[in-house]
Amino acid sequence: MSLEKFKDRNIGNQNYTLIGHEAFPQTGGEKFERVMKRMLKGELFVGLWVTLRTMFQALFKGEMHTTKYPFEKLPISPRYRAIHEMLRLLESGHYRCIGCGLCEQICISDCIRMDTRYDENQRKEVSEYTINFGRCIFCGYCAEVCPELAIVHGSRYETSSEQRASFSLFEDMLTPIDTLKHQKEYPGFGAVSPNADENIKKTPLAY
Amino acid sequence: MDALIIETVVKAIVVLLVISALAGFGTYLERKVLAFMQRRLGPMHVGPFGLLQILADGIKLFTKEDIVPQHANRLIFMVAPAITAATAFIALAAVPLFPEFTLFGYTIRPIVADLNVGILFVLGAMASGLYGPLLAGMAQANKWGIIGSARTAILFLSYEVVTGLSILAPIMIVGSLSLIDFNNAQAGGIGDWMVWQQPVAFVLFLIAGFAETNRTPFDLLEHEAEVISGYATEYSGMRWGMFFIGEYANMITISFVASLVFVGGFNPIGFIPGFLAIILKVSFFFFLMLWVRASWPHVRPDQLMWLCWKVLMPITIVNILITGIVLL
Amino acid sequence: MSSKEITVKIDGKECKSVEGEYILNVARANNIFIPAICYLTRCSPTLACRICLVEADGKRVYACNAKVKDGMEVTVTNEEILQERRAIMKVYDVNHPLQCGVCDQSGECELQNYTLELAVDSQSYAIPDTIRQNKNWSDVLHYDAGLCIVCERCVTVCKDMIGDSAIKTGPRGGEALPKEAKDTMPKDAYAMWNKLQKSIIVPSNGTDFTDCSDCGECTAVCPVGALVSRDFVYKSNAWELKRIPATCAHCSSGCQIYYETKHTSISDPTEKIYRVTNEWNYVSLCGAGRFGYDFENRVQGKDEEAFALALKAFNTAQSIKFNSAITNEEAFMLQRLKEKLGIKLINHDAKAFKDFLTSYAKASGKGLYGGDLKEVMKSDFVISVGASLRNDNPNARYAFNHVQKMNKGAGLYFHPVGDTLVSTFGKSVEIFTHQVGQEELALYLILDLFANKERLDDETKEYLASFHRHEKRIVKEKIMEEVSQSVTDKATGETKEVIKKVPKTIEKEIEVQINGLVEMLGGNDTFYENFEKMKSKKESFSLIIGEDLYYHPHSHNLSRLVALIEEVCGMSLVMIPPRTNSLGVAMICDLDEEESGYVIGYNEHGHFRLSSRGFSKLDIPALNQQEGTFTNINKRVVPTNAALDYHGYELNDILNALGIGMRQTIDFTPQLGRIEGFKSENFDDLPNGYTNAGEELRGYALEVIETNKEEIKVVKFDESIVINEGEIAYRCNPQRQFNDFTDRSSQINEEFGAYVSPSKAKELSEEIEVIFDQEQSFKLKVIVDDRMQGDIIAIPDYKSYQNIYGVFGRDRYKKVTIKKV
Repeated sequence: MSLEKFKDRNIGNQNYTLIGHEAFPQTGGEKFERVMKRMLKGELFVGLWVTLRTMFQALFKGEMHTTKYPFEKLPISPRYRAIHEMLRLLESGHYRCIGCGLCEQICISDCIRMDTRYDENQRKEVSEYTINFGRCIFCGYCAEVCPELAIVHGSRYETSSEQRASFSLFEDMLTPIDTLKHQKEYPGFGAVSPNADENIKKTPLAY
Repeated sequence: MDALIIETVVKAIVVLLVISALAGFGTYLERKVLAFMQRRLGPMHVGPFGLLQILADGIKLFTKEDIVPQHANRLIFMVAPAITAATAFIALAAVPLFPEFTLFGYTIRPIVADLNVGILFVLGAMASGLYGPLLAGMAQANKWGIIGSARTAILFLSYEVVTGLSILAPIMIVGSLSLIDFNNAQAGGIGDWMVWQQPVAFVLFLIAGFAETNRTPFDLLEHEAEVISGYATEYSGMRWGMFFIGEYANMITISFVASLVFVGGFNPIGFIPGFLAIILKVSFFFFLMLWVRASWPHVRPDQLMWLCWKVLMPITIVNILITGIVLL
Repeated sequence: MSSKEITVKIDGKECKSVEGEYILNVARANNIFIPAICYLTRCSPTLACRICLVEADGKRVYACNAKVKDGMEVTVTNEEILQERRAIMKVYDVNHPLQCGVCDQSGECELQNYTLELAVDSQSYAIPDTIRQNKNWSDVLHYDAGLCIVCERCVTVCKDMIGDSAIKTGPRGGEALPKEAKDTMPKDAYAMWNKLQKSIIVPSNGTDFTDCSDCGECTAVCPVGALVSRDFVYKSNAWELKRIPATCAHCSSGCQIYYETKHTSISDPTEKIYRVTNEWNYVSLCGAGRFGYDFENRVQGKDEEAFALALKAFNTAQSIKFNSAITNEEAFMLQRLKEKLGIKLINHDAKAFKDFLTSYAKASGKGLYGGDLKEVMKSDFVISVGASLRNDNPNARYAFNHVQKMNKGAGLYFHPVGDTLVSTFGKSVEIFTHQVGQEELALYLILDLFANKERLDDETKEYLASFHRHEKRIVKEKIMEEVSQSVTDKATGETKEVIKKVPKTIEKEIEVQINGLVEMLGGNDTFYENFEKMKSKKESFSLIIGEDLYYHPHSHNLSRLVALIEEVCGMSLVMIPPRTNSLGVAMICDLDEEESGYVIGYNEHGHFRLSSRGFSKLDIPALNQQEGTFTNINKRVVPTNAALDYHGYELNDILNALGIGMRQTIDFTPQLGRIEGFKSENFDDLPNGYTNAGEELRGYALEVIETNKEEIKVVKFDESIVINEGEIAYRCNPQRQFNDFTDRSSQINEEFGAYVSPSKAKELSEEIEVIFDQEQSFKLKVIVDDRMQGDIIAIPDYKSYQNIYGVFGRDRYKKVTIKKV
């Protein structure tokens, strides 16, 4: 398809077809006729009836849709992308992050930074980790790229705070050790698909 | 004579206080009703069921900074809201609100001034309310204000005609301009209600009343999507609040007039005493205005004029002619 | 070394090459990809990985060790070869930990690349894993045996390039391969697996720690993340680092390096150098180059007060004292100061070198020595005179070693300080631990051994002949004597005469030719016999001379001898400039002999000090914060870039304030063209890299200028300058120290002290006082250098504020008194 069609900016000359639209009244008589028709047909009263019905349903049939937000919260989807969480290993309680730096690299708003070091146990330790939430756009790439399911998007969507520094340190995002027992294998954004096993080739690790 | 003056002053003050309180309460009601019709809860958090929201809003309006734009005509800008509020209350002066009752052995007629040209006074006072928005819009040196005031002028002037003509037929039947006479003319129960004799006038009066009070579907003069806030664009704080009180006071006035002229006024209906009857009627008309606002879209300015001059006015004239012929 | 031009076809592409080149190198030079893990361009083929398998003229060969023949047709890949390679990669992946997330190779991993390149998407082999421990081999080397794929590149480079041979393959203790594997697996993959399962890399001295010069070249060549420098372990991912092409600032080799920088930490956004990498196929770094990178001079901003003081100082100064750890541009600016303001330029290291070069130029008719280290590397007989090869220039040492290892070459090493390392380079290395001052004799010996005698004048010929004499000696010789025996066969009862050969030692009197020069230089008795073997079949010769000759009482005569040797022996000659850019400074600056009046110390001692080391009145940028060029030992002008930013003043600002500056320092680069030998090229046009064929594209080569050649008159050796008694101090840096910059680097931890051999250390206390004749004395810690021999103590000169150059003056060896403290 050529681009000419898109470059035609002569708006209003397109051949639009009006669907289910009666002819527009031309003369005064026709207009008067239409007004009378609409008035007598009671369309206006249908509108009144709808709102009245809704009011009664809301008041007496419990169909009120308001959630009193700070006191009540709606359940959100596990795939919702709010403030990040750092998960721990369910068995050992050690944090999952291995410091690979993929989240830092993939971050399109360049808001993740980490410092790593060689620790006493000959492992790579994340000595510092921050997310600048002033810049984060919650795109979820970090959670998606994380090979360990260590950084995930949590459900804490109330991101306003008095200080920009809030939530942004590793310790703030890390699951507190005493609530580890509530941590479940994370099903949400970035988790492996339920049928992941079917999609990988098995290697002979018989030992 | 002294007693009359004192009585009138007391009545005036009572009406002023009660009606302005009711106007405030009206805003609460409007928000609640609109909310329910949209499956919302409306104000909930200030006081039980959000009842103290009015108070909170009042505090807010009173304590807000009073801003007068740099190039505005200061005097007119400051006076204009008072005109709106004042005319709305003045119009109420000639409206009998309740049946006579006795308090501490003293018979009170709940009307500030029983004029023999009551209906004319009410319409006239309400019509002069035009000056409020008109002057406010022109004084504030703001293009939206100018457009708002222009719309005000055409809307008020045009629909004044319809109001006046539509109410002419009932006047012809009753033969008096006093609203008490109107009330008394319908004392015979529901069957005597003017609305059965003059249904067309009733409908036309309601339509025109909506226009007079700037209610949807005729709220063109301060329609946000088109002219920001119309004549009230530059207003803030209590001055802006006075426009509101004026509007709600007008709504109450129109509701009273409609009740008195067309649906039997404060005559008791069966076991329902008169004062309760009129409260129910006024409440219904007030609710109707909110209900309509929740249900219907507003019209275009050209549709508005077309409706007024080409539809409503001819119908009123025909109605008057027919009424005249029948009376003869 | 034949260099016959031939043509081969690799995958249908015609490639020109020379005979004797490996198929792999020809392919690489012609941008044809042949997978190879274990091969290093300049080193000997290891044949550890076997994935460079190709088909040449229908036969399967390994591209890394099969040489091209004229008209050869090579197929890089066919289905069978691909199967084989795939199997090899599968084997490499067996039990390789899946730690790619934390591995320091961070994706720059050849194992990863080839696994993907060869589309290995499943594993069919398995074997129980062996526990392999992480080890720290030295202060800088970290070995993660779990990640190691035993490609032996580290072992190869350590042996063939560096010469330390500090690591080797050792037993892994892994389980034997499954029996059926031999029949079911491709042949090469099986062989490779068999070897892999048995070996691991260990230090070759049998301990857990390497005994080496800590050059870190093994970490550079490691294709996986097994060998990493200790300070870089788990510090940063490679992709975060910004690579800045530069030139190493430490010695005169001027090696190509990349500074790799990143922000310091989360809270500190200033750039920091995290590591130094190099094009390890074409250049090898030393420990100073690889680990001495954090010598930057961090300043807060422009110190206007100090700058005003500096201007005042420059207006009153009569001399500027500086060393050669500066760029050509800085040298040019200093020369400009001399021209415009008449300030004297004092530079100890470059002055001696310049004098030597001038005198050499007069004798040889050339402004510069003829060879370079690359020619040395190609030669098969290399001689080093007057250079502490291990310390003065690591690349000269690598070249010396490379000749032994790769070219089956031979070498002669003349130096008063014995060195145990040089003799390990190869079997054909002869060491002459001569007395201090006998350098002339060494050169005469070279003349005697290698010169085309017809080209020498009669006087010299006679002089050389005067050292020869004949002597009768009794030598013991083993001969095989035939003895007849009668043996009775017990089974048959027959008796037979059997002739048997029995070894017997006899004494024999022979006449031997004795060369007095060899004796005087302390050579072995067996030298003459060995030398015949060493010299046979050798085609190209090279001579490396070092600082000892420039700082020699007879340096004038030495320079003429060197010129004579170059002329009559057909040797390729390399002189090691004493410091980073001594050659550049010697060519650019007009140096004065003696300082006088008010002295400005530019990175040196003086009344007013400007220093990139800090602690000075005005800070100037260090060499990793400057753009500019160096003139290196290979007679190349090579560019270096600023790795870190610098916010203070630099020399050009001073010149600008004096009205003789340019807009930027690098605007002086084209100005260098005014000096003979240099070219007028813009800094930004100078390349800094290598081609696939290993061709060096860095800066430009200096032109060697023809000068008026005078007849070479050499003087006979004068016995009187020999120092052969008492304590001798030798001005020499430890292995990884070169200048203030290495001193400042946190990972270069060789201390300032007296370096002595283990035997000498026994005589001395822990701390000694070294007293020089001008009654200057230093209290120094005694540090044992295992590779030194003899009694001479080495005193480092890398700390400029200690003014060791000033103490030694125009000598490199001094008689001293040593007191125990």
